[in-house]
Amino acid sequence: MDVQFFVNGEERTFGGDQRTPLLDVLRGDFRLTGTKSVCRGGFCGACTVLIDGEPVPSCQRPVGLLEGAEITTIEGMAPVGELNLVQQAFLDHDVVQCGMCFPGMVITLTHFLGSNPMPGRAEIKEALAGNMCRCTGYERIVDAVLSICPTEQAEDQPPVPEVSER
Amino acid sequence: MSVKIDPETAVMDLPRRDARDKLTGRTRYMVDMAGSDALRAVIVRAKVASAKIVRLDVSAAARMRGVRAIATAADAPELHGIGIQDQPLFARDRIRYPGEPICAIAADTLEQARAAADAVLLELEDLPACFSMADALAPDAPILHPDWKNYECIVDGVARAGNIAWEAKVLRGDVDAAFARPDVTIVESCFRVGRQSHMPFEPRGALASYEDGRYHIITSTQVPWTVRAVTAKVLGVHSSLVRVTVPPVGGAFGLKFDCSIEPMAAILSRKTGRSVSLVNSREEETTTCLCRENADIWIRSAITPEGTIAGREGVVLMDAGAYGGEQVFLSTMTAHTLGASYRLGAARFSTRVIYTNTPPNGAFRSCNGAYNAFALERHTDEICQKIGMDPMAFRKKNVLRDQDLGSTGQVFEGDVLGPMLERMEALRASTGTQEHRAAGRLYGRATTVGTWNIFVGPSTATVNLNADGSATLITASVEIGSGSITQGVPQIVAANLGIHPSKVIVKGADTDAAGYDMGTGGGRTVVSMGSAATAACAVVRKRLLETASELLQTKPENLVLRDGRVEIEGRPGSGTAIETVIARAEQTQGPISGSGSFTAPGTAKAMPGCAAGHFFDAMDLPVFVVHEGEVAVDPETGEVEVLAYRVVQDVGRAINPRAVRGQIQGAVIQGIGYGLHEQITIGPSGAIEQTGFETYHIPLAQDAVKVDIDLFEGAPSCGPLGTKGVAEVAIMNGGATMACAIANATGKKVQQLPLVASRVLGLVEGFEEMLEHPHISRKWSDNILK
Repeated sequence: MDVQFFVNGEERTFGGDQRTPLLDVLRGDFRLTGTKSVCRGGFCGACTVLIDGEPVPSCQRPVGLLEGAEITTIEGMAPVGELNLVQQAFLDHDVVQCGMCFPGMVITLTHFLGSNPMPGRAEIKEALAGNMCRCTGYERIVDAVLSICPTEQAEDQPPVPEVSER
Repeated sequence: MSVKIDPETAVMDLPRRDARDKLTGRTRYMVDMAGSDALRAVIVRAKVASAKIVRLDVSAAARMRGVRAIATAADAPELHGIGIQDQPLFARDRIRYPGEPICAIAADTLEQARAAADAVLLELEDLPACFSMADALAPDAPILHPDWKNYECIVDGVARAGNIAWEAKVLRGDVDAAFARPDVTIVESCFRVGRQSHMPFEPRGALASYEDGRYHIITSTQVPWTVRAVTAKVLGVHSSLVRVTVPPVGGAFGLKFDCSIEPMAAILSRKTGRSVSLVNSREEETTTCLCRENADIWIRSAITPEGTIAGREGVVLMDAGAYGGEQVFLSTMTAHTLGASYRLGAARFSTRVIYTNTPPNGAFRSCNGAYNAFALERHTDEICQKIGMDPMAFRKKNVLRDQDLGSTGQVFEGDVLGPMLERMEALRASTGTQEHRAAGRLYGRATTVGTWNIFVGPSTATVNLNADGSATLITASVEIGSGSITQGVPQIVAANLGIHPSKVIVKGADTDAAGYDMGTGGGRTVVSMGSAATAACAVVRKRLLETASELLQTKPENLVLRDGRVEIEGRPGSGTAIETVIARAEQTQGPISGSGSFTAPGTAKAMPGCAAGHFFDAMDLPVFVVHEGEVAVDPETGEVEVLAYRVVQDVGRAINPRAVRGQIQGAVIQGIGYGLHEQITIGPSGAIEQTGFETYHIPLAQDAVKVDIDLFEGAPSCGPLGTKGVAEVAIMNGGATMACAIANATGKKVQQLPLVASRVLGLVEGFEEMLEHPHISRKWSDNILK
């Protein structure tokens, strides 16, 4: 039986084994390789995508459960050639190293800031409990996120995330 | 022609050119490259640690649906290895560790390849096994490599015997006399460390094809030229038949400093005529990881009444696992880590690389330096405790200074560690301390020092000038995340040519395009490849300036390259755009291109006769760190919180200070992981018990702490523009600093890493067993082969 769902706004159909993890469908069948296959156990967060607006490790979701779902992958987080505010902050702060964790980091933190526009340092670190990074030692990721968060003194700044100009 | 390059023109916080694609998921790593046209392959691995292979039958597997080819030991006749050629690609007659490859199967799908793996018939006869170094050194221990005498070694005449794969010795001065002095205090310590697993997000693997009679391997490696050489060696073909290209690497940390499973993919691609993707699963990657090795260390020192070190001796046992690998090479580094940092009257060290029936170990950022720093700094604090001297005062009095001798008799140049200790005190004064946050828990602070070596070695680079005023840099260096080839080296090229680094195009590593390079690791890329690129730029500059000299009717020595122009010195705007000069050169002599090479200048010398079994007796480019940590230990649970962490690092010249700080932050957290969280255990059958991120705990964001960093510049360096490698050494004292701080917090004798909560609780409660290392003799002559 085919499963139909939307990936980055586009309707897609998958006709294979319904137990196939979404991760493998995205990478193998649709060749959306920005979603990284790292631990396949739901711990590292590198394969995080938005399913109906919620960040989920795609290795943990059989595709058969996704009929009608709206999925956003890292490729769909900003129009081609543009970056969202989180991505721009990571670029501006020279945070990236090997880069394998960042698709998941971007998705988790973009979603997090949508519901927590003024987080503190500790809250951002808590939000990263499901996103591991082996290179950076995290703190500069947190610095970059804090740089785009309006402070209490400047509450009327625009909320994140928005797509920025390059 | 004199070269007038202002080093300051290279210094900038250049952003990474690869960040945008990495942030948008568009970067294609090796693991992203295999499309539907590529076959998928799996490795069939041994499930036991030690056995004789009686029969391997792959005929049933070969008949399974979708199976296209099977590679076995028959396809890879030759042995390989870094120091000792002791390792087959596939186990041949004998299995030596759980996880050892038996054969590899390529099929249309991964599922088909896995199904076929179950159909491989393997008939075995059990052999006795050694799972620990103590087992392997026992008088009646089974010998893992009965044929050890016939192995080819990279250096001849080294002491080896049975399970002692390699022995490196240091001997300077009369150590016995130093210990026999009536006035010295003798302090003796035992230490043990477990393995550390790299856990790169991208596992090892390769995508291979067979094109025009040659192998093309796309792989995630730090060492494309090693992969080329080893593949050719084990397959028994000429090296020129192997091409290796490397896309961006998703984390390496030393794990990918050796050829691994690439030749298997190569064999399968030739047999099938198809592209073959072979990638370790996370479980395979973890259980066969070439870890930072476990080690047992014994060290003792004779301390004078003035608080100086009259004599020091040590024995380090390094667990190679089943094959010699990197440990053979790294045995050299005991002299330059455990035997370094401090001024020693007399010194002797024996380092033994031991075979065990466990997965082979490898290189990991700062390698044995990370645990030798732990042993040395804990030993130093034990000395201070015993003689009643302040640890900082002892370090200031004894650290290596200008013209002091290292353990092999090398003369150190420059006063570096001493001033760095003072800078640490100043840094602490500026940041303040965090004792108040311990809040009822046990508080400890410790300052530690460390020495490491930059592995300068052969590199070559080519620089082509393009008509648009850009330059193309062609090297075999790899972008592993450190930024050395996307930030550091292009900045050096740009400074040499007077253009902006964004105008320096960096060609991805390809052994068909770029000349030999030893590899990206060991802190060597900015230094060695930067030097090779500087030499290439010198050729390019000469041609540029000579051509411009004609155009501008000015002597070349009066011209400078700046902002994409050739200017007459002292007269900005007087010259012409670099494009004009390039066009002129094309018309008159042909396009401007230059190549350059570099290797260790060999200026550092040891005293004759002080070192045996070493790959190098003196360090060509020493590099130093001072670390300080503050911890709070929960006496109820043994959990440790890192309250603050400070680093003063000898960086030579930081040409990208922001990127340097990023490397230090990342490395320190990996080092804290080594000290506190990351535990690999070997099970009763010799296998690594951890299988992935669930059981092996790398630090999370909440385990991290923001590192306060002071970059110490100006120490002597042969690196271009005075640079040194920065990313490697930054991890080195993480374990040492955690151990010393926890010892200070608890008042207990910390002898082992990692300091997971259960071990710390054991220390606090007094049930942690004290190490005595009965398998290491206190008699020097027992610890060296005759």
